This record gives sequence, structure tokens and C-alpha cells, in this order.
Amino acid sequence: MRLADARALLPDLVTTAGEPQADRRLIETIANWCDRYTPWVAIDPLGSAIAEEGTETCSAGGFGGDAGLLLDVTGCTHLFGTGEAGERALLADLTQRLSRHDFSCRAAMADTAGAAWALARFAERQADLFCPRHGQRAALATLPVEGLRLDAPILETFLKLGLRRIGDLYPMPRAPLARRFGDQPLTRLDQALGTLAEPIEPRRPPPAFRTRLAFAEPIGRPEDIAAATSRLLAALCRQFEQAGVGARKLEIALYRVDGSVDRTSIGTSRPNRDNPKLMKLFEEKLGELDAGFGVELMILGAPEVEVWSGTQDALPDQNAPAVPVGVDGTIDLADRLALRLGTENVVRLLPRDSHLPERVQVTAPIEAKPAAAGAWRRVASLKGARPTRLLQRPEPVDVMAPVPDDPPRHFSWRQHKHRIVRAEGPERIADEWWRPRPDGSRPPAGEVPLVRDYYRVEDDDGGRFWLFRDGAYKVAANGQPTARWFLHGFCA
Amino acid sequence: MPVISPNAFAPPVASVAANDLAAAVPLGLREKVRRLERAHSAQRSGRAASVPLGMPAIDALLPEGGLLTGALHEIEAGPAPSGRVASHDGAALGFAGHIVGRFAQQAGGTILWCRRPTGTFDAPPYAPTLSAWFDPARVLMVTARRDEDLFWAMEEGLRCPGIAVVLGETRAADPTAGRRLSLAAEKSGTPALLLRAQPAPPQSVCATRWRIASAPSHSTPGLNDVGAARWRLELRRNRFGTPSAAEIPSWLVEWNDETHCLSVVPQALGRSSGPYQSELDWPESDATRLVG
Repeated sequence: MRLADARALLPDLVTTAGEPQADRRLIETIANWCDRYTPWVAIDPLGSAIAEEGTETCSAGGFGGDAGLLLDVTGCTHLFGTGEAGERALLADLTQRLSRHDFSCRAAMADTAGAAWALARFAERQADLFCPRHGQRAALATLPVEGLRLDAPILETFLKLGLRRIGDLYPMPRAPLARRFGDQPLTRLDQALGTLAEPIEPRRPPPAFRTRLAFAEPIGRPEDIAAATSRLLAALCRQFEQAGVGARKLEIALYRVDGSVDRTSIGTSRPNRDNPKLMKLFEEKLGELDAGFGVELMILGAPEVEVWSGTQDALPDQNAPAVPVGVDGTIDLADRLALRLGTENVVRLLPRDSHLPERVQVTAPIEAKPAAAGAWRRVASLKGARPTRLLQRPEPVDVMAPVPDDPPRHFSWRQHKHRIVRAEGPERIADEWWRPRPDGSRPPAGEVPLVRDYYRVEDDDGGRFWLFRDGAYKVAANGQPTARWFLHGFCA
Repeated sequence: MPVISPNAFAPPVASVAANDLAAAVPLGLREKVRRLERAHSAQRSGRAASVPLGMPAIDALLPEGGLLTGALHEIEAGPAPSGRVASHDGAALGFAGHIVGRFAQQAGGTILWCRRPTGTFDAPPYAPTLSAWFDPARVLMVTARRDEDLFWAMEEGLRCPGIAVVLGETRAADPTAGRRLSLAAEKSGTPALLLRAQPAPPQSVCATRWRIASAPSHSTPGLNDVGAARWRLELRRNRFGTPSAAEIPSWLVEWNDETHCLSVVPQALGRSSGPYQSELDWPESDATRLVG
């Protein structure tokens, strides 16, 4: 129905513009919140596809009132009770908590995602929302065929043919159905009934190791949060020891009473399961966390772990000094620095085989293998004299130089004129033709590559500079040969 | 400012106020205790108390015959001989590289290099050139956005036993930060260096402060090629060292890129490269005070 038609029917209709992005943000917040029940939470893929395309039509599963979340709670219900009672308790807890936050929701639980999807949307009685084990065939039989998540044309044809209930499809011969409508109806039916697996793709990869701590009373003081983190970390480190792994990344999530979630994570540059060291890293980060009105649940997970390559943990003997990995503590230092300053700001220097001076020095993360001893010396010995500082971007300078190959007599840089008394050069460095240009194209065959002629010069004040001429001289419009000059570095 | 004077041995004013007992202890005894403390901290970290610069004329003035290991040393780029503000600190970086090399040679481990980038015109140190002094593979390069972060990173580095030497490139000299670095270095026996692209008012409690300006090089007669790099080296502060005859001892040194050694240019040779012109805030009688 168009808006104009709706207005004609109901003149005092209140309308607001749809905001698919805001809807999406909201559903993501709710999905974050649902991580408290299981790490395996997905936004209904049908709905998200619709929102991303920006279409405003809202079919079942779309946003704007019909959004859905899929939770795989396998192995999570024992926290609420044993067997079916636990499953029912989880479902009740979920709906109750969500409605306390003023969300109207319907949650259904079944063996398959497809059945739960259909029940949550089309079940007529409240009691039907919980589908007991292996009961999906019976539960789905009375539901309308819309519950099968079919494309609109197929759905229309089904309705025209009088196939109104899902149960109507059960006795249909499969081969003609597939021939007439394609794979979709049968696939969806099998998925809903559980004869075909339908994996749910979680929003964030569930950590292999996680610990949780729920509080009877919400906590808010930073000391309490630190103490809780320490307890969680101790439990997680025990898990690491049993599995023989160490953490590369740890993430702590605070579930606040108002339903929002705050997260922060730390990274280490080698597998680590040393409780005090990890706690020290967390202490840097805990200050960023905001407890809001209080925290009722904390979950510590390790999204990235690696096989522990270190030595045996020290025995609790005060006399024997423990000899852990990275005995000099440099790696731990680098971790601490990287945590506060950012990983990209704590780096190693690696040499690269290149003729272009700015490409020789590359930075690499701390965990990268350091350059071999003497590798830098070898790189340096192959080249001419180089500056102690290299400008990241060569700066254009005004130069007075005799053509064609002489070093300049004067150059002006940052409004200072430098008279050159001594000069060395040129050292010609040609562009690396085997590399694509910055714009991605390759230089055509036969073309002379760009060259730079480098000069080491000394001005009358004793300052030593590294200048280059970009390319050969060209004849300008006024008949004068011109070339561009750049300052590229400062020599010792 | 008289730098080498009996006052230089006294602890800074702040600590005198904090501890009246310290003021009552005779000067000689205090120096002896300091010496023992230094030796102890150096011994704990398994290094020598000092590292010679490799230039006997300069080492003679320094305590223990070289740069103290557990101390803060400052290096700043001085004005050019003409008195103009130096256009770059390439020479100061070269001298810092030399010192880092001496320290790194003495103790194995990582070199922590902390710097604050200066925006778009940033010129980071160039590792191929620095490889003449030390192996850049040992460098852990840290970039900080703020001075507080830079000093924090340096302090953390000084406390870490695996660090051979910590160098910080910064603009401002913060007296508090300098004092903290000095104490951290003293405690751990790890040397700390501060490199500044511009001279700053002398505030901090470093053990030595050096001012380096690039000087005209000596080229082959008849040619105008750039010779071996020469630097004008000033020892502006020498806290525990021997007082020298001159108020500010100054030398002309030459870096030989082939033999990889730094040497003091004898006075006669230094003059032959061209008469030294003294102007503006360069000390007047400087040319006569060359030691060699």
C-alpha cells in the first residue's frame, strides 16, 4: 500500500521516515546483549540482506518490526537448569529480560533454526513457542507456508495452488516439486525439519576459551572490576594450561544492567598464559571501561590462542629462579608499549632489497623475525653515502645549478638560502621498472624509466644535505632548460 | 653558566630541601657514596660503570674514563658556525648513533629508540646509515604522539633488563621527566639518551650534555668534494667529571666512514680546513680552546 492510499483511508495517520541503519544498529546492540547466553549469535541473514541493499520493503525477516536473531544455545542451557527445564528457563529469561527493556519480542526454541524461525513468527499459542526435542515436524504442520522463508513468487504460487500450511507439503512427491519450483522449497523444508544441516554463522567468531562471572548484585567500582578480571583471568589461565596453549588476544566484555555491552581487548606478541603479566596488560585497559549503572555479568574470552611454545611453568620454589620465555623481558616490554601506543607504533626495522632509498627501510610488527645480524651492514655497503635522516616525503627546493650535470650552486629550503661549497655526485638511481607505478599501471616497454640524480652537498655553514634532481632537464615554454629538485635527507 | 664547578657535584636544590641530612654530609664522602652506588647498580646489571667514547682527549674529562652507564645523557643540535639555527640535526643524530653504538657494543640486548614524529615533514632516522654505529636489527622503534607517552616509554624501557640503551628524540626538555629518567637509569644501570633537534634551556639533571653542530669538512685540496663528516662538539655539562681548563670544553671531531671511528681533529689540521669564524652566540675564544 502506498502512503497516499493509506492517508486516504486514515487522514490522521502519523508517519515517520524509516531508518534502516538505525534499525540495524539497534539489532546489533541486542545481538551483543544476547552474547550473554551464547557466543553463537547471528542476525537473521534474510533481514540483514534486505537492510544492506537499502530496500524499504519489509518482508518477513526484514527490519522495522520483523527483525530476527538466531541463537545457537547448544551446550549453554545447563546454566539455567538440567535438560528441558533449563531450555525453557533460558527462553523465559530471555523474553523476560528483553521485555523489561521495553522490547516486544517473541522467542521460540526448536531443534532447527528454520523451525524456531517459523514458530517465533507464526505460532498461534504461547505454549507452541517451545518445541520439544524432535517435535518440529508436528509443530510446523499447522503453520502457514510463509514460515518456510521462501521467495515471494514461489510463495504466491503456493497460495494459488492451495498449499496454505507447511503440513500440506509433507505428502507432496519431492521430484515434481523440485522440477516445478527449484531447490528452494525442499531445501527450506529439510532445513526446518532437520534432515539438512543449516549452520549459523556467528557475528563474531566464538572464542575457544572463555570464562564468565555473573554477579548477584551489579558492581561498578573499578577495584571490583579489576578483582573480577583477575579471577576470570586465573580461571582462563588454568584452561590454557590444560590445553597447552597461550593467549595472543584476550577480550573482556562487561554486560551492564541497562542492556549495553562494553568491550576491550589486549594483544600479546607471543602466546602468553602468565597470569600476572596478562593482568598487568589489562590494568592499562580497564580504565577505559565504563561500568555505567552497574555490571551484572563479565565474560573473558580468548579469541586468538596459539600453541604454547614456552618452558614449563616455574615450580613454586622460592629458591629456584624461574626462567620464563623472553627472559630479558623485551617482549613483555614491547607488549606493554604496544598496548598504550598502538601496535603500529612499536615496530622493528627490516631491510628491503631496493635501489630507491625510501624503500630500503620497512617497519614490521614486533613478532616479525628480526633482520639477520649484519644484514643492514650489507645493505648499506652496497650503496653510496646516505643521510642519517631521510625525509618521508622529499621536499621541493629552489635550485640554481649549471646544466646539465653539475651539482647546484645554491638552494633555498624553508626560506633559507644555502650556498653550496662542496658537492659530491651525481649518484644516479633509476626507478624500479619491474614495479607497477603508484596508479597501478605498468610503464610501457621501451620507455626510459625515471631517474634521480643524487648529490651530497655541504653548505657554507657546514650543513650537509642530500639533494636530487628528478629526471633530466626539459626545455620549458620560455626556452630555458628546467628540472625539479628535491631535498631528500640530512647527512651527518 | 659555569657548568663545571664545585656546585655541579652537589645534588639538585630540590633534593637538598627534601633531605637535610644529605647537606650535612661532607662533599668528598658524598661523592664516594655516589661512586659506590653507581658501581653497584652497574654491577647488578652486569655492565661496566662507564663506556669510553674512544677519544682519549675527551674521555680524560669524563668520570670513570667515559660515559656513565647508569645515567642520563643529553645531546642537542647546536647552532651552525655562522650563528644561524641549525637547519637539521643530522650531525647530532650521528653523534647519538656513535654513543648508542658504544653502549650497545658493551651490553647485548635491544636498543629502544623512542621518537615523536613531527608531522608531514617528518624525517625518521635512516637505518642503513646508522648501521655504521650499531646493528639496526636490534632496534625497537617506538613512536609516541605526546611527550608524556615518550617519557613513559623510555622509563619502561629503562626498567627492562633486556634493553641495552634507551634513546628518546624530543623537542622540549621537561625537568621532571629528566629527573625521573635520570633516577630510573641510575637504578637499573641502563643508559638513557635524550636527543634534541634544538638547544633547550639547561634544566634537567643529566650527567653530561653535549651540543653538536656540523662543521665544514676537509676536502682534498683542488677538489670540492664533501670530505669526512666533521662536528663541533661541546661538553656543556659534566656532572661527575673532571673540571677542564676551559669553561665549555669544545673539540672538532671527524667521523671516518671507512674505519668507523671518531677522532679529535688536531688543532693545526682543524684550522687548515678554513679559518674558523666566530659569530653571535658561538664563544669568541673558541678556536683557541681546541683540545687535541
